[in-house]
Amino acid sequence: MNSRTWMVLSLLITCLVAGFALSEVYAVTKPKVEQQRIDATNSALRQVLPTAQTFREVEPDSLWYGMEASGTKIGIVVRSGRRGYGGPVPVLVGLDLAGRIVGIKVASGAEGLKETPGLGLNATEEVFWKQFLGADSTVALRKDGGTIDAISGATITSRAVARGVAEAIRKYASHLKP
Amino acid sequence: MIAKKPSRLSYLTTGIIKENPTLILMIGLCPTLATTTSARDALGMSVAASFVLILSNVASSLVRRFVQPSIRIPIFIIIISTFVTIIDYALQAYQPSLYRVLGVFVPLIVVNCIILGRAEAFAYGHGVFDSFLDGLGNSLGFTLLLVTMGSVREFFAVGTVFGKVLTPAWYRSAPMLFMIFPPGAFFLIGILKALVVKFKLGK
Repeated sequence: MNSRTWMVLSLLITCLVAGFALSEVYAVTKPKVEQQRIDATNSALRQVLPTAQTFREVEPDSLWYGMEASGTKIGIVVRSGRRGYGGPVPVLVGLDLAGRIVGIKVASGAEGLKETPGLGLNATEEVFWKQFLGADSTVALRKDGGTIDAISGATITSRAVARGVAEAIRKYASHLKP
Repeated sequence: MIAKKPSRLSYLTTGIIKENPTLILMIGLCPTLATTTSARDALGMSVAASFVLILSNVASSLVRRFVQPSIRIPIFIIIISTFVTIIDYALQAYQPSLYRVLGVFVPLIVVNCIILGRAEAFAYGHGVFDSFLDGLGNSLGFTLLLVTMGSVREFFAVGTVFGKVLTPAWYRSAPMLFMIFPPGAFFLIGILKALVVKFKLGK
């Protein structure tokens, strides 16, 4: 066998082995990855609307109805994303039927938060988002005339969260109230 | 000749301090600067890169007799990217929280110079077990530096190490935030490099 043929053949064999190994690993991990994604969405929804048993997606990836086991609607979850420092800041807001905020979750890195680690990324911490519980659509940072304390060093991220929450409340209002 | 042949143990140890890939050879700086914003991220990155480095070293050494010099680079790249994709899938499936933290830097392990560098400079010319030791040594060196940098940067910028609070509250209310930004990474690696140079030249 001359050296050129062998060159092509050795590359071909390497690619075949690599491709086969990858397809095997992919087949094994795919269902797990899918399951992780579904679990992540469901647990995020449950965090912001703890009383609901099941969720029904009404608008893809942005609005869910939370229901009891019997199927009675008991609240809605809205996802909004206003521009932060590194991109949109995805916020999940859970509201009961009276329009009160019962839960807030600022998405973590996996769900698309691209803020600065140690600064904007701290928006996911409870001490920050807890301030929004019970807020109404006029919610704003102290700097903008509201009552929310911004994360130090991350005003832009904090403002994006506040605006996202206000947007979610407005969306709730236009969706549930006729 | 025999006396000059380096011992097995030295294959393992040179990569840790004497020829630390990042601090002495100054390769693989991208993940070193980018993923050391906290000790935990740095450790996660080190583990993922070590997995790829050790296995790609072993695999490159296994195939070295069948691979002609002119096509060795494409073959190495295929081997490395295969292992990177495997760890990428595995992290997504079994360690989603770690995958979340590392994000895009997992696929970027493919272009980590240390990994291609060791396959090219060491594994292509050495046996499987020696290549394993070399991969392990370099992984330890890489891990050592990353975790050090991650811990120091987290300590100064946030006041914690591995999430553990180590500084008084007055410090944490006004920490040296810049350490977590890119300039902090350059600043710290410059200091570490200067220390190493002084230490090595001081003898």
